[in-house]
Amino acid sequence: MTRSNPPAGRLADAPDALLAERAGDGDVAAFETLARRHGPLMRAYSRRLMSSPAEADDVVQESLITAWKEIGDLRDGAAVKAWLMRIVAHRAVDAGRRRKSHGNIADHPEAIDKAPGPEQSAVAGSASQALRRALAGLPDEQRRCWVLKEYGGQSYEEIAQTLGISATSVRGRLARARTTLVTEMEEWR
Amino acid sequence: MNPIRDCGRRIEDLSDYLETGFSADAAHIEHCPQCQARLAGLRSLHTAALNLMDDDVASLSGEGTGWLDGMLANLRLETRAGRSIPLASNTADLLTETEGAVIALVRNVGDSLGGVLIGRCRLDGEVTVPGAPVEVNVNVSARYGYPLPVMAEDLRAAILTELLVETELNVAAVNVAFTDMREPLAEPGRTDGGGL
Repeated sequence: MTRSNPPAGRLADAPDALLAERAGDGDVAAFETLARRHGPLMRAYSRRLMSSPAEADDVVQESLITAWKEIGDLRDGAAVKAWLMRIVAHRAVDAGRRRKSHGNIADHPEAIDKAPGPEQSAVAGSASQALRRALAGLPDEQRRCWVLKEYGGQSYEEIAQTLGISATSVRGRLARARTTLVTEMEEWR
Repeated sequence: MNPIRDCGRRIEDLSDYLETGFSADAAHIEHCPQCQARLAGLRSLHTAALNLMDDDVASLSGEGTGWLDGMLANLRLETRAGRSIPLASNTADLLTETEGAVIALVRNVGDSLGGVLIGRCRLDGEVTVPGAPVEVNVNVSARYGYPLPVMAEDLRAAILTELLVETELNVAAVNVAFTDMREPLAEPGRTDGGGL
């Protein structure tokens, strides 16, 4: 079933703030326009946070449900993109916790390498590929901190809150992640 | 990093400096070859990170929207009912309509006018009390090129008429606030739903 509500075309160039207001008032077409506009970014971000594409898509789906429920309370509609990214981060961390509590082996860093997408071979040897490899080698908790900071734009305090750890631990993990990543990127060069 | 001649600055200090452009230690950082080398490393890491995300988003966008279509179809977004508005002529049956339905009605009226997109719509007043005066407040994004006073007047009239026909609300006023202007359409032709 595809919902191609007639207003969707009219909404194509509507600013985020207006779409957020309409979605907050219950306009499904406006919400879908926002989801289409920011969906690929949410999905890419989720894949960087999760260990498999399937899990990442579950996280995006849960994030959209949360977003629809809460968008009426969003104060600054112009900030909807950052707000969506924060929801993805929270849902991803929740999903990670659930998985651990279900007794699965904790995140396997080496599985991450399969996450990014189908075009890996095309960019083999590029800086992107080198960074992808370096990220895959990081311990999970360091990688998460780095992704939340670099792609989520979260502050130390926000990351600490998201992950339920101290801001000092966040700083430490980020420092270790950056040291490793910088070193590996230099070796690649 | 050369452990023998390590200047002792930590990478978190350098990344804070990179992020904020400020450090109490700036004088050292600016003149220390080791710090400069590590700053360069952090900068290239940041660039590589942005490129990686761009690559990921581009390749995911290239996969089409099938994944999202399915997701959105499965969401079954529940409607927002809001308050219940009684229909006075049916008091015996206690029939009501929802505030959400009335707001959708107002939105659709706006969408049928050229250049108008309605954002937030609020019904201010005791809508649950039959006959109580209600003010309708709408935020509007206008397409550049339409005269705003005319647009506002036409929109007010259209909303008022629609609410008179479709509801039993006692509409005391319709207030239009222009909150945004959109670029004119690339083509002069009207693909935007006709003129005013």
